Amino acid sequence: MTRTFIASALLASTLFLTCSSSALAVESAASLGQRIYREGVLASGQPVQAEREQGMQIVGPAAACVNCHRRSGLGMKEGRTSIPPVAGSYLFHPRAGTVDDLDLPFVEGMRADRDPYTNETLERAIREGIGADGRRLSYLMPHYTLDDEQLTGLITYLKGLSPGAVPGVSSSMLHFATIITPDADPLERQGVLDVLEKFFLDKNHYVRAESPRLRSSRRMMFKVNRPWQLHVWELTGAAGTWEAQLRAHLAAEPVFAVISGVGGSNWAPVHRFCEAQSLPCLFPNVDAPVVAQNDFDNLYLSKGVLLEAQLIAHDLEEQRQKVPLQRVVQVFRSGDVGSEAAQGLSVALAHDDFTIVNRTLRANAGPRELAAAVHDTRATDVLVLWLRTADVAALGPVPAPLSMVFMSGRMAGLERSPLPAAWRGTARMAYPFDLPEQRRVRVDYPLGWFSIRRIPVVAQQAQTDTWLACGIVSDAINHMADTFVRDYLVERIEEMLEHRVITGYYPRLALAPGQRFASKGGYIVRFAEPSGHKVIALGDWITP
Amino acid sequence: MSAGFAAAQHVMPVQPVKSQTVRYVVPTVTLVRDDGKVVSLPQEMNDGRPVLLNFIFTSCGSTCPLMSQVFAQFQRKLGPDARQVHLMSISIDPEEDTPGRLAEYARRFGAGPEWQHYTGTLDASLAAQRAFDIYRGDKMSHVPVTLMRAAPDRPWRRIDGLVTPDDLLREYRQLFASK
Repeated sequence: MTRTFIASALLASTLFLTCSSSALAVESAASLGQRIYREGVLASGQPVQAEREQGMQIVGPAAACVNCHRRSGLGMKEGRTSIPPVAGSYLFHPRAGTVDDLDLPFVEGMRADRDPYTNETLERAIREGIGADGRRLSYLMPHYTLDDEQLTGLITYLKGLSPGAVPGVSSSMLHFATIITPDADPLERQGVLDVLEKFFLDKNHYVRAESPRLRSSRRMMFKVNRPWQLHVWELTGAAGTWEAQLRAHLAAEPVFAVISGVGGSNWAPVHRFCEAQSLPCLFPNVDAPVVAQNDFDNLYLSKGVLLEAQLIAHDLEEQRQKVPLQRVVQVFRSGDVGSEAAQGLSVALAHDDFTIVNRTLRANAGPRELAAAVHDTRATDVLVLWLRTADVAALGPVPAPLSMVFMSGRMAGLERSPLPAAWRGTARMAYPFDLPEQRRVRVDYPLGWFSIRRIPVVAQQAQTDTWLACGIVSDAINHMADTFVRDYLVERIEEMLEHRVITGYYPRLALAPGQRFASKGGYIVRFAEPSGHKVIALGDWITP
Repeated sequence: MSAGFAAAQHVMPVQPVKSQTVRYVVPTVTLVRDDGKVVSLPQEMNDGRPVLLNFIFTSCGSTCPLMSQVFAQFQRKLGPDARQVHLMSISIDPEEDTPGRLAEYARRFGAGPEWQHYTGTLDASLAAQRAFDIYRGDKMSHVPVTLMRAAPDRPWRRIDGLVTPDDLLREYRQLFASK
């Protein structure tokens, strides 16, 4: 009996080994394929090589499949060119009469009337540009130089791209989360949550009954009838614990995407979490977003104070032509976003031969320390104030020898900033939004919406941005029909955003593959009068 | 019908190329060159050299890199003659495409000293796009168009569709011969 037990245990462990090693082989082939697909890099680290008509070589990232077929593998439409989906289920599906007969989520470039690919014909398509039906593929499709192992890896990866069950999506509900960090402004938090809750309520108000799955392809804009559910993920404690908290939230309440949210001085852990989970994190209210070249899942309305730093650098370079300016003195509180903005300005001015002096106020520093930081200046100095409303309100007299003052509009409360009268004539405010009188009509829509729903306006710009985020996500979801793929949601937003007419505080919004910040510019303004909310632009819209 | 339509969409090995002669009025707009210099569009075009012009944006995935590659190949095929021609690429996404981004894009395609990229305000880019009839509502709907002109007082040769480097060279030589 003992022997039998050992034998069967051995057999079981061998079986387990066989299974897991083949699963490992598939996994490593797929990760090889993923690097080819997304980065144009082979396992050896060498760039992928491919060729188009007339011997035009393409190499490395330029040859990566993702450029055209997109991260979702669901293709895209560019101009009159429709790039077909290459996610496995779209390549290997049996021939059907019409797209409606396919049991596949609808995407633009899908085709029903062709023979399914086999591994062999797919290899031929990738190497020689010949389709499943033996005809030549579009001139856009390069011919790849890949060996058998590389091709197997790529094809394994394509098969894995096939849309399947997605967390947070059921036939009766779409789940979203919104994330609030503990350092978020309490008033802004309440204002943003009010807007989100009312938007979800409104959305679900129109859902009367469960609707059948949408499968039609007749290029109509569908109103997807699933109710939406909002999960509010409020983080607590130290930032070092946030990612673990978020993973626990996601495990307990699987969501399709994260919508809006409120951050304080540190959003990086949330950004990292969304990126690691491939979870779209759509337009949170943060002053200092994370700027990372190759990240995909985090979309922002603007670069916030980092954009302000670029606006100030741009203006400084112009002002310097007229006024002798030597030193840039930056004042900010430790632990707040001002330190990141100050760092951004230092980098932007790196080649301009300015002396940069950073004066950090302790987090609990009082008015005397603020006055000391602001007042030790020289005649050729530029003072840059990365300060919040309370500090701005507490500013004493303008220091006597001084050339120019800049301030952050976002941090200081824009045109409602409590800036003392003495500073109003001189302070140049970075204003990363459209001007009040120019955006009036665009902002009246959300304001009217708030008013009808009796939402108190306590943080107008953040609440308007939240309303905007909801509208953008809602439109994109409608256009996706039933194709619930997280990467595809991000790709739809990238493509559609430019068409939006009601853009709130922003003159226009646009994204594209690789672009993660929708509004790209701003103004430098100054107060028109010693009191009141009127500001005047000191130049044109700047896109630094 | 749907099969034919699908074939045109997906299986077309080479995009049909249409070439025609058109007169355009070059708008007097200010652009920013990839070296950061503020320039006037007519002045950039009227420096005596023949001009080749296209419209691109650096975040574009499929068509623009191909158009830029055609320019790069054209420049190489011309060899030393390339010095006599001015290649111009105007961004249709000027808010994102800063001079620095364009310079980096130009480097990626091995652009020689005769090939410049331009950005500017959105309005300036739109004015240029409208003047040459390439504006199609938004950047994702753009179409591949190559324009060339032998001299300031001559009409433009407009090539719709993706022209190959060899065909572009042939068109260019014909145009230059007729100057």
